[in-house]
Parts: sequence; C-alpha cells; structure tokens
Amino acid sequence: MSNSQIIVGLEIGTSKVCVAVGEVSENQVVNIIGLGQAKSRGVRKGEIIDVALAEEDVRNAIVEAEQVADVEIRSVFLGVTGSHIRGFNNTGVHPVVSADREITTSDIQDVIKNAKAINLPTDHSVVHVIRQHFRVDGQDGVLNPEGMLGAKIEVDVHVVSGRYNRLQNPIRLVNGLHLEVDNISSCALASSLAILSPEQKELGTLVIDLGAGVTEYAVYSAGVIKHTGVLAVGGDHVSNDLAYGLKVPLARAEQLKIDHGSAVIDPEAGDREIDLSNDSLIPGRQVNLGHMQKIMSMRLQETFELIARDIGQAGLIEYLRAGVVLCGGGARIPHITRLAREVFNLPVAIGRASTVSGIKNALDEPEFATPVGLIKFGVFQSQANPRRAGFGRAIRRQVAALFGR
Amino acid sequence: MKNSTKPAPNANPVIRLLGLGEAGVKLVETLAMIGPGGIETYSLDTDNRSLARCHQSQAFLLGQAIPCGLGTGGDSALARAAVESDSEQLAGIVRGADLVFIVAGMGGGTGTGAASFLANLAKEAGALVVGVAATPFDCEGIRRCNQASGGVRDLKQVADAVFHFPNQNVVLMEGANVSLHEALDIANRHLCEAVLGVSRMLLDSGMLNVSFGDLQAALRGRHSLGSVVHVDASGDDRAAAAVRKLLTHPAALGGEALQEASTLLVHLSGENITMAEIVAVTDAIGSHVTKANLVVGASEPGSDGAGLQVTVVIAHTAKLAEPGQEQAKVHPDQTGQASGLGFSGSFSVPDTGSYLDLGKGAGGTSRGSFAYTPPAPTADALTPECREDLIRVAAKEETNRKKRQKIVQEMLPLEIVSKGRFEKSEPTIHQGEDLDQPTYIRRGAVLN
Ligand SMILES: Nc1nc2c(ncn2[C@@H]2O[C@H](COP(=O)(O)OP(=O)(O)O)[C@@H](O)[C@H]2O)c(=O)[nH]1
Ligand SMILES: Nc1ncnc2c1ncn2[C@@H]1O[C@H](COP(=O)(O)OP(=O)(O)O)[C@@H](O)[C@H]1O
Ligand SMILES: [Mg+2]
Ligand SMILES: [Mg+2]
Repeated sequence: MSNSQIIVGLEIGTSKVCVAVGEVSENQVVNIIGLGQAKSRGVRKGEIIDVALAEEDVRNAIVEAEQVADVEIRSVFLGVTGSHIRGFNNTGVHPVVSADREITTSDIQDVIKNAKAINLPTDHSVVHVIRQHFRVDGQDGVLNPEGMLGAKIEVDVHVVSGRYNRLQNPIRLVNGLHLEVDNISSCALASSLAILSPEQKELGTLVIDLGAGVTEYAVYSAGVIKHTGVLAVGGDHVSNDLAYGLKVPLARAEQLKIDHGSAVIDPEAGDREIDLSNDSLIPGRQVNLGHMQKIMSMRLQETFELIARDIGQAGLIEYLRAGVVLCGGGARIPHITRLAREVFNLPVAIGRASTVSGIKNALDEPEFATPVGLIKFGVFQSQANPRRAGFGRAIRRQVAALFGR
Repeated sequence: MKNSTKPAPNANPVIRLLGLGEAGVKLVETLAMIGPGGIETYSLDTDNRSLARCHQSQAFLLGQAIPCGLGTGGDSALARAAVESDSEQLAGIVRGADLVFIVAGMGGGTGTGAASFLANLAKEAGALVVGVAATPFDCEGIRRCNQASGGVRDLKQVADAVFHFPNQNVVLMEGANVSLHEALDIANRHLCEAVLGVSRMLLDSGMLNVSFGDLQAALRGRHSLGSVVHVDASGDDRAAAAVRKLLTHPAALGGEALQEASTLLVHLSGENITMAEIVAVTDAIGSHVTKANLVVGASEPGSDGAGLQVTVVIAHTAKLAEPGQEQAKVHPDQTGQASGLGFSGSFSVPDTGSYLDLGKGAGGTSRGSFAYTPPAPTADALTPECREDLIRVAAKEETNRKKRQKIVQEMLPLEIVSKGRFEKSEPTIHQGEDLDQPTYIRRGAVLN
C-alpha cells in the first residue's frame, strides 16, 4: 500500500469533464478508486471555447473525484483532442558506424532521434512519437535490434502532433486550477490503452471513440499503433441534425436521441410517431420515428464511412483481424455495432476497460475509456521514465493528515 | 495601436488592401486603379499566372517552396501551408497598418485556405481587420459552395468583420441570362464598393466624416458577418430611387437584413447632395432598423456625374446562444424562408459619437435576448413600387426555378442550421464538404 502510486486521468470532453483516479500497485496493477464527473459546458468539438465555464466544470469534477477517492489531486494526465490533432508515420534512418557493424544502444538512440526530427509547420508541436518497428538492412519487423549486425538501421514511428496554441489551452486551464499536468496524451491513444488487450493489438484492431464533439480513432497491428485520426464530428452533430430535421429544440433532440435513437433504420418503425404532447416546450407535437432513424443512421453511417476511407487509404483495412471496437458515449446508441459491421465488414464489439480493476461503473461504461486510459498512459510513462518523480502527484488524504498538511 | 507609427490625431489611418487568390488579385488590381490614393495594395497568390497580371499592386508569390507558383488546384490545405511558410514576410506586410482589408473569392484553394491565416497575422499586428469575400455561383457546385462557406466562417472567426457578397446575388438581380463575364463584373463592382465605401468614409473629406475611431468602435472584436449593398441612381428623384433599389437588393432581403443588423455604415456620395436627400435615405433605412448602430458619412465624388451612390455596410453580430437559449432555437419553415440570425440576442453598440446616430431614435423596439422568429417578408412595409420590384425580381427567377430549386433548398437552410451549436468552433470541413451541416441534407434525402 505504501508503495502504491496514485495516477489521475482528466478528460475535458465536449459532453462531460471526467476525472479518474487510479491506484497503481508496485507490480503495475491499476485499480480505479474514484471517478469525478461534471457536465461540460465550455467545450465544442473537443476544444475549450469558454474558459470560465470549462474551468468551473473541471474544478467540480476534480473535487468530486477527490471526495470519492479520498485523495488530494495535485497533478493529472490530460487528454487532448480536436480537429487540429494529426497522426502520421515517420521513418528515421541511421548508418551503423562501428567497424564490426554491431548495433549498439547509441545507434538505437540515434536512429530514434532521427525519426523524431520532423518537419512540422511552425505552429505545431509534437504530442507523441511512438516507436513502431525497427528495420535492419531492410529486414522488417525487428523489435529490438541491439546486438544485431547491420549497416543500416531504420525505425518507423507514429507521430501525433497538434497546434501549439490549441494544445496549450487545456494545459493552461488546468494549471490555472493549481494542478500540474504530468503529460498530455491524445484521447484516441488513451481510449485504446484502456480497452484493448495485447492480443487485439497484435492481431490488428480499429478503436473508435464516439464522443459528443469529436470522433477519434486508432489502429493497432502487430502490437503497435499504426494510425490515428480525429474527425470533428460527434454526437452533437447527430443531435443537431435531428433538431434541424425534426424541427425541435436542440435539447429536445438530444433527449429524443437518447430515448428513441437507433443507428439503423428499423422497417417496423415506419410511420410510428413519438408523442411529445406532454412536452412543456413544444406541446402537441409528434415526431416521426422513421425520420428520426433515417437522420441518425445517415450521420452515423457517414462518420464510419469517412473513417473507413481514411483507413483504407492508409492500406490498413486488411490488417484489422480482430475487428473494430467502439467506445465513447456513442457506443451506447442501439444497433451501433450492426451499422459499424455493415460499413467495415468486420466484427464489431463495444469496448470495456478490461485491463484495469476497480469501480465497476468506470469499467463497464464506454464513455470512461479515455480517462481510464489516461491512467494507463500514466503508468507507461512512469515506467519509461522512472526517475521523473512525482507522477500523478496525488496523495492519500489520511497520509496528508498525518503529516499535518 | 503601435506607438511608433501612431498617426498624428488628424492624419489618415494606414489602410492596406490585400488581395488573395485569383479573385482577390483581380479585385485588388481594380481597386488599385480606381480607389482613393493612399491605400497600399498587395496581390498575393500561389499562382504565378494570376500574379503576372498585376501591375498596379505589389505582387507576392505565396509558397515559393510549395506549390512554387503552380497554384493550389483548389486544395485549401496546401494554401494554408504556403502562407504558414511565408508568415514572416507576410507579417511584415501588415505591420504598422491601422486597417487591413483581406479580399478573396472563397471556394477555391488560395483564398479559402489562406485568408484566415492572413487575417490572424494582421490582428496580431494590431490592425482592424475587415474581410471582403465573394462566394461562388450556385452553378459552381455544392462542394465549392460548401468549401466557400467554411472559408467565410474561418475568416469571420478571426477578422473583426467579413463583408460577404454571394456571386449568386447577381443572378438574382440580373436574371439568368446575364453573361458570366458581365456577372463577374457586376459582382466585382459590389465587392469593390465594400472597400471603397469604407475607405471613402475614412479618407474623403466630405460633409459628414466618419473617423477611424467610429469604425473601430462599430466593428472591433465583433466578428460580424455582413453584406454590402451598393446602389446608384440619378435623375430628379435620385434619393427615392436609390432607396427603392436598396430595399430590393437581394442582400437587403427586403429590408429584413437591416432589421437584424447590429451595425450599419451608410455612405452617400454624389454631386451636390442635399440635406433632404441624406435625410430621405437615412430615414428610409432607419425605419427598418430595430437595434443597429447607424453610422452615416457623405462625400463629394471626384468625378462621377450627377448620380447618387449609396453604400450600406450591414453587419450582423451573431452572439453565441446562451445555454438554454438554444432550446428556443428557431428552425426555418418548409419554404426555407428563414433568417440566419436566430441567435442574435439583444445587443447594444456603445455610442460611437458619430454624426447621426439614428438607431436609437428611430422608434425601433430593441429585441430581448430571445430567439428571433423570422417574420414573413415585410411586404406591407414596402412602398407599392418596392413591392413591384420584388415581384419582378422573383418573376425573373421563376424561369430557372426548377433547375435551381434543389441547390437553393440545400444551401439556404444549411447556412442557418450549422450556426447554433457550432458557432464558436472551427467549421468541420472535410475534403471541401461542410460536415457541420446535416448529412441527410447533404446527401439529398427527403423526409416525407
Ligand atoms: N466576384 C468574383 N468572384 C470570382 C472571381 N473569380 C473567381 N471568383 C469566385 O471566387 C471563387 C474562388 O476562385 P479563385 O479566386 O480562382 O480561387 P483561388 O485562386 O484558389 O483562391 C470561385 O469559386 C468564384 O466563385 C471574380 O473575378 N469575381
Ligand atoms: N444512449 C445513448 N444514445 C445515443 N447517444 C448517446 C447515448 N449516451 C450517450 N450518448 C451520446 O454520447 C455523447 C457523449 O459521449 P462521451 O464519450 O461522453 O463524449 P465526450 O468525451 O466528448 O464528452 C453525447 O453526444 C451523447 O449524446
Ligand atoms: Mg471523449
Ligand atoms: Mg487559383
């Protein structure tokens, strides 16, 4: 217990701000001990548009998480998203210089350094450089080339970058609440860390996080991340389309979507009407269920098609041998797996944060994939970087009390 | 403003005019020829061929490395990359300016992709930034139109104001038989007037001067989207004729646009303008205004004969709906007849101390912060002649209704629906398609 570590994940989402508190044991087992949530009012398409509101919502979520987990949160791993985030692959090349052509650690460091030398637009900065595989003299799929013989060593990396200013916005907001940001992670990466098993990563899986403001996706194959993307389209668009098509206020459309929504058109629904006569806002109105399903299914189908096209262009469809896994609030839409199966022609499942234990709620609900994944991201970071003390600097209240803080 | 270049109190403001992309370059070239002196003009394009045509303004090739003078082929991301790579030199161009106009045709690559970036540089340099944008004819296709509306929104997010002229308005005004060449000429005249009207107000020493401070107070930080109406009339009753043309101008929406405006800049120019004429024009406009701040200027033209020219800059400031206010969101009715201004809440412009500030005295009722229900076109507010004109315009339209109908139904409501929830965020443009707009509409599904 005394050697366990507290790691906190924070997602400032478009529909909700969510804080997950994880306790990480010495042998790196993650146990979720607290969750805090607040309705998000200052975010659109994954990015902060109203600092004051967002700040209040983040503060409330943090306070709730502190109470539930009984910890004092001092720093967080922060999820970042938005249409400005880009994912692409890069390759570093390095000639092996030693006389005997044996690859050394310094060769490996050099080739990775070369892969990190990326020509980004001036206002972009790197969020992640994730190592994929090495190649030694053209031989593919080398996991660790140290000690191998060769003349040329290459490494492929997946780079995630974003606009500097837009990455800074949530960081500044968090800092303004006197919290430190341990590190930032793309939400797509975080969600995939929470819900994919090593087998799924190995076989090849597409993870899609269907949020309110953005839809994020990541492709794994052969154990490494191959591709990531963000579409600034989400559940808000579904609701907006419904509001427009059914001529109801947006808030009503959101409710209709949750109460009666479907990702596919049910021929039975036909001309059924939903009676809104008890509605105080728009009394005496009826809404046609068939229209509703049509509007929804078209938007959702388009979203999947855009992703399928992108992944197809990256040549990755045939690598998805473990199919597609959905998470985010949109994964709750009835028949969403059926629609995805039709578009991708692959098996589709709903993701669960199976790789951690703890509060059941956090693990079963698809919309908590990101905050839970951020904790896992934190665990990887602290493993990779053990010297950087103070990761997830939250301390147990009892301990704090003991030392009279 | 910058202390080093701060003008002496009565010195003219430094105005720079930047034309972007093919359409922008053409417009700036024209303006450099006919505009008032003292405006510095620049033509910027990714395309060498377009720059080769410019003689009046200073040419600047965007993206020397890529696309190295070959144009963008409609790829706005490429244009964006090009301006980003040139940002240092471009910052030099806008440095020290008080007012920067960014003129572009939206829907192609260069103007669409680069305008907002340039606007941002100018803002960072401390200038008041006014965008002037042409948007495509309907017949250029829905994809181009979508790309254009995304470009306008991008620009609006950065610029203090964007004056927007849909080329399609020319078809509405002149009928479908107008030649393309003529149509572009007419559109260009309107676009030029946006720039000229504003510059004349600031630079001409006329009877009623409008200062740069007035303009700043009216526009700065408002991110308003507006349109420019320019009409001319001659003859005995030139003021009444000008008013009639004004109210039947497509951009005035039969006066509705005036009603919802937050700022109106009215500029009259003509020989021997009488007080009665100024009053006739401003009264007629004032009677349609409910809450706008009206800024009026008048000057004598250098040459232009006996005509009276009236330029009205109509700016709308769409406020983000308050949470909960969204619930009262208005949707257009089946005819697609609706206002895109459903979110303009109550809004008062500080008194700018302009010469005539008719907005308040005009007997208009200020709207509360409740959503706006589009009224039927206010036909009875119009004089019989106006109504006739409107009917005539509509009748001209009738001939090619059938062909146009589909596009109109798709385009008009789209502009409107996408605003509310996504107003403050960057539009989601994916390969030229505006994904903020409902899929079922973009894909042409019918709900029967
Ligand atoms: N009013 C006007 N609009 C134009 C003119 N030329 C092009 N446009 C419009 O501007 C849009 C963008 O075209 P263009 O300026 O050629 O694109 P760019 O050079 O890639 O920025 C087109 O879709 C046209 O609708 C022009 O001379 N006048
Ligand atoms: N049962 C449901 N049916 C349809 N949509 C749902 C349902 N539950 C949640 N959603 C939608 O999921 C979105 C929220 O997902 P979430 O992953 O929490 O978003 P974010 O991370 O962007 O805050 C909202 O658009 C919400 O409408
Ligand atoms: Mg999310
Ligand atoms: Mg061009």
